[in-house]
Amino acid sequence: MQAWIEFGRGPLFRLAFCLMVLGLLRVVVLTIVGIAEAYRRNSDRIVPWKAIARQTLGWLVPVRRLLGGRPVYSVTSFLFHVGLLAVPLFLAAHVRLWRGAVGFAWPALPQRPADYFTLLAIAAGAGLICGRVFHRGARALSRLQDYIWPPLLLAPFVTGYVCAHAALGPKVYQEMMLVHIYAADLIMLTIPFTKIAHCVLAPFSQAVTAVAWKFVPGAGQEVAATLGYAGLPIWVANSRSAPAAGDKKEALVK
Amino acid sequence: MNRVYRLKFILWLVVGLASAVAAARFTQGLGAITNLSDPTPWGLWVGFDVMGGVALASGGFIMTAAVYIFRLERLHGVVRPAVLTAFLGYVAVAVGLLFDLGLPWNIWHMIVFWNPHSPLFEVGWCVMLYLTVLTLELFPVPAQEFSALAKVRRILVKGRLPLVVAGIGLSTLHQSSLGSLFLIMPYRLHPLWYSPILPLLFLISAIGLGMMMVTFESHSTAWLYRRKPETEALAPLGGAARWVLLLYMATRLADLAIRGQLRYLVTPGWHMALFWLEMSVMAIVPAILFSLPRVRRTSGGQWAAAGLGVFGVVMNRIDVGGLAHLSRGNHIYLPAWTEVAISAGVVAGATLAFLFMVERFRVWEQRPADPLADPHKLPEFDRVGMTWLGVPAIAGRMVYSLGFIFAAALGLALLAPQPAASRGVDPQPVHRARGGAILWIDGNLDGFGVAFPHDRIVKRLGGDTSCVQCHHMNLPRDRASGCYECHRDMYLTSDAFQHDWHASPEGGRLACVQCHPSQPRSAAGAKPCTGCHKDLTPAGATIPVKHYRAPGYVQSMHVLCINCHVQLAKQEGKPDFARCVTCHKERRGLTDSGDTTARPDAVRGILLPAMTR
Amino acid sequence: MKAAILTDTTKCIGCNECAIACKKANHLAPDSPRRWDAEDGLSARNWTSVVEGPNHTYARQQCRHCLEPACVSVCPVGALSKTALGPVVYDQSRCMGCRYCMMACAYGIPRYDWDQAVPYVRKCILCYDRIRTGGQPACTEACPAKATIFGDRDELLAEAHRRIAAAPGQYVNQVWGEHDLGGTSVISISNVDLSFLAPEHPAGSAPLPQTTALAMHAVPFAFTGVVAGMAGLNWIINRRMKRQTEGSDE
Repeated sequence: MQAWIEFGRGPLFRLAFCLMVLGLLRVVVLTIVGIAEAYRRNSDRIVPWKAIARQTLGWLVPVRRLLGGRPVYSVTSFLFHVGLLAVPLFLAAHVRLWRGAVGFAWPALPQRPADYFTLLAIAAGAGLICGRVFHRGARALSRLQDYIWPPLLLAPFVTGYVCAHAALGPKVYQEMMLVHIYAADLIMLTIPFTKIAHCVLAPFSQAVTAVAWKFVPGAGQEVAATLGYAGLPIWVANSRSAPAAGDKKEALVK
Repeated sequence: MNRVYRLKFILWLVVGLASAVAAARFTQGLGAITNLSDPTPWGLWVGFDVMGGVALASGGFIMTAAVYIFRLERLHGVVRPAVLTAFLGYVAVAVGLLFDLGLPWNIWHMIVFWNPHSPLFEVGWCVMLYLTVLTLELFPVPAQEFSALAKVRRILVKGRLPLVVAGIGLSTLHQSSLGSLFLIMPYRLHPLWYSPILPLLFLISAIGLGMMMVTFESHSTAWLYRRKPETEALAPLGGAARWVLLLYMATRLADLAIRGQLRYLVTPGWHMALFWLEMSVMAIVPAILFSLPRVRRTSGGQWAAAGLGVFGVVMNRIDVGGLAHLSRGNHIYLPAWTEVAISAGVVAGATLAFLFMVERFRVWEQRPADPLADPHKLPEFDRVGMTWLGVPAIAGRMVYSLGFIFAAALGLALLAPQPAASRGVDPQPVHRARGGAILWIDGNLDGFGVAFPHDRIVKRLGGDTSCVQCHHMNLPRDRASGCYECHRDMYLTSDAFQHDWHASPEGGRLACVQCHPSQPRSAAGAKPCTGCHKDLTPAGATIPVKHYRAPGYVQSMHVLCINCHVQLAKQEGKPDFARCVTCHKERRGLTDSGDTTARPDAVRGILLPAMTR
Repeated sequence: MKAAILTDTTKCIGCNECAIACKKANHLAPDSPRRWDAEDGLSARNWTSVVEGPNHTYARQQCRHCLEPACVSVCPVGALSKTALGPVVYDQSRCMGCRYCMMACAYGIPRYDWDQAVPYVRKCILCYDRIRTGGQPACTEACPAKATIFGDRDELLAEAHRRIAAAPGQYVNQVWGEHDLGGTSVISISNVDLSFLAPEHPAGSAPLPQTTALAMHAVPFAFTGVVAGMAGLNWIINRRMKRQTEGSDE
């Protein structure tokens, strides 16, 4: 058991961490190259930088989304992200491990706030799982990895909290630690290759859409005509006056 | 899948691994990732990357000589790839040298500070000049694609003959001077390799190698890109190589005979085995193979014979560079996997550059087809939008980059075990436990300790006669010495014997001979401690004293207590009895990162093994 | 004066004071055993050591400061040089780290900072700064038994021969370093064979730089010869080919 723990936080951790950093670098570089290529191929080279920046920031800060459809879900998601970043990076025990490994460190959270952040992340994560499972729309859009990720992300939090607080025997403690370490390793190994890569790709996703996806002038009318709706009014993106009758076209033209 | 595509993926894997090793090389120094040592300061990087690399690049001057000096027009088709290989080979040598040099950023010192007595100085200058010549010889090939460079290209093509002649002169010099490097080591190189005509031997073998390398490379790339092999044109090259190899063998054996060292050919041992293996692979077997018309006239035969010879000559360079040296003391040099990784990475990088060049420019008469363009393959569509995705500008970049980062991460994970910045465990002197019936055990006085119910445990273990169950070694005239007397450091092993104290005025004032009556300066003849200290270990002590090195305080306490606690917990069915909190009532608060008293790294190494025992 | 050191192993008591004084004088860091250490005790942080030979004989291992040093002749950037006073000194600002000096030294003396990201070659420099100002090396100054002494090479050689002649039964009739590889500045006399200090090095041989001298002198001639030969050959072959084509045209 001890050997497995040492392996998990020794070589396996290093592999996972290096793969995470290099893998994220890779997707960033590939995305930028992809954007550049798409830009070069485009006939229309107008890029709405301002709109891209506005939308990116809008997704980052939940204030705007509060006014949208699901305020509770937005806030929960935001809090979940806060806990998710604060605890692994600023827990005193983690900071100390860093110092042992690389020789430098950064200020750590005091124990009490760190505990609160952990509990916050666990609670918010549980909320998000419920939100996904019990909402029909969300269920329809979810892939398998959407169900796997939240519990996987929560596993190190739960085991870490238990290890830090419960009075356990050495054996149970080690088992908890094992789960804690291997779950964290698995997360880091898979981040660059799954949807969690949005942690670095988020600033680019709006740009990819804006640069790579263009419609020829009058595309809306052509699509409508093909579908047999010629002559009906067409809903234009970013306008609030959507006609009630054009539901199908809306989805298509957007 | 496509051959080129697969090969490139493997090459990127190798380059990725080498990048990780390179990072470690430049941050931690040569000692961390090589097996080099003070008695064996040169190794694989000199033998293979530098000497082997220069030898492998000899095809350039052989082919330019054959085509532009001797006007063998039949070989015109292989000149360009040969010059390209030579150019990339020398670039690889330079890159490999940057890894091997201790201070690679000072490599330009050779231009400023001269020492013409040094063969290495001459090699360095020749390599620099020849690399310039090769660049000028090669430049017309890429310049073909850019109309702006047409003028420069015309001048270079016109001035080719002087370039070729200068290149041959420079190559002759440094191919042989690589042998001169070792002339100064008659006491290091084995007599089977050391010879005053080492430069000549190096030159002859380089000429043979150049011919074989061109053959080998031509057939390998023909297979790779499914081109028609140039078997007809290359057949006379094999025939010539045979004569060169025979000349080499004759020269080498004659040299051994003249120097009177023939007896080593039959003196069994590492060097004899190495010599015969090397000679067979580099000269004897290829010479025989090239003499058989059936081998010389078929592409497979040419490929095999040339490949064997190439391998053999490179082996010869590695032998001279390190394997054939007389061992000094117990030091035997074998390259570490990290050294092999760097060498392989440099070769892989050069190969990728070669493949890039032949795909982009007219190195051959006809550029090979795009490796990803398979005429039998249907176009790929995006699964969501059903739009044609087209061929990406950088073919296969998704897969290549994935291979690269995976290999690099694997390398970094394998390389890190050396704590680059850890200071290890600092000494922390132990203070005695205070108290009476209940002792407060807190060796480093950091406030986190254990209240040890000494009297209660004495009672439980059987009263006054139970001391020996824990106190296993006593100071002179003492009945039960405290643990801290010998276990004097929290985490480090301490010396329970104190050699110097016994000789000091405040200590025993003993003369050396009182303890060491016979052999001076050695522990072997010393008197045992119990010779003077009759009551050092009390009668009936349960913990045996094996030596006078006392483990750290924390470890000693844990081993002493936990073993009994675990047993009792099982016997009496009280699992709580063996838990940490039974004794450690206060949890060590992990409050801030500036806390220096708690040492998780030390605790990890000492506590947990003790607990799982 | 030609600075030199004479070590008489019959007087050495193996106390290691020379090594300790050397460490202090050259500000060398404390040492711990490393993977790359040789058995003779020298390392990047120990420039001299005391080696125990047969019959409890103690001998000093250190740079011999050869009269014709191989290390100086092979250094491509001239970082090592033989001073007029005698010591072979090292200029670390010139070094590029090729380690050819370590390969060339027949005594295997130069050591390397294998554990440093910016490594240098390390060896005894005969305390050049001290002897230049009229002092003597730290090791000879520290020796309590006067077993290792500093002085002029000729005087010390005479002293060595005088000692051997005075007590022929006590010494092997040889002065190590008198003629070896052209002579060295660090010489020794002993009651046992001192070849354990440099195992595969036969005594009384020619200076090493001579071995490469011939090859190096041939360089300009070889280059000129090859270039002239190639150009000439090409001229002849071109003329012949031209004649042939002219001949076939007619």
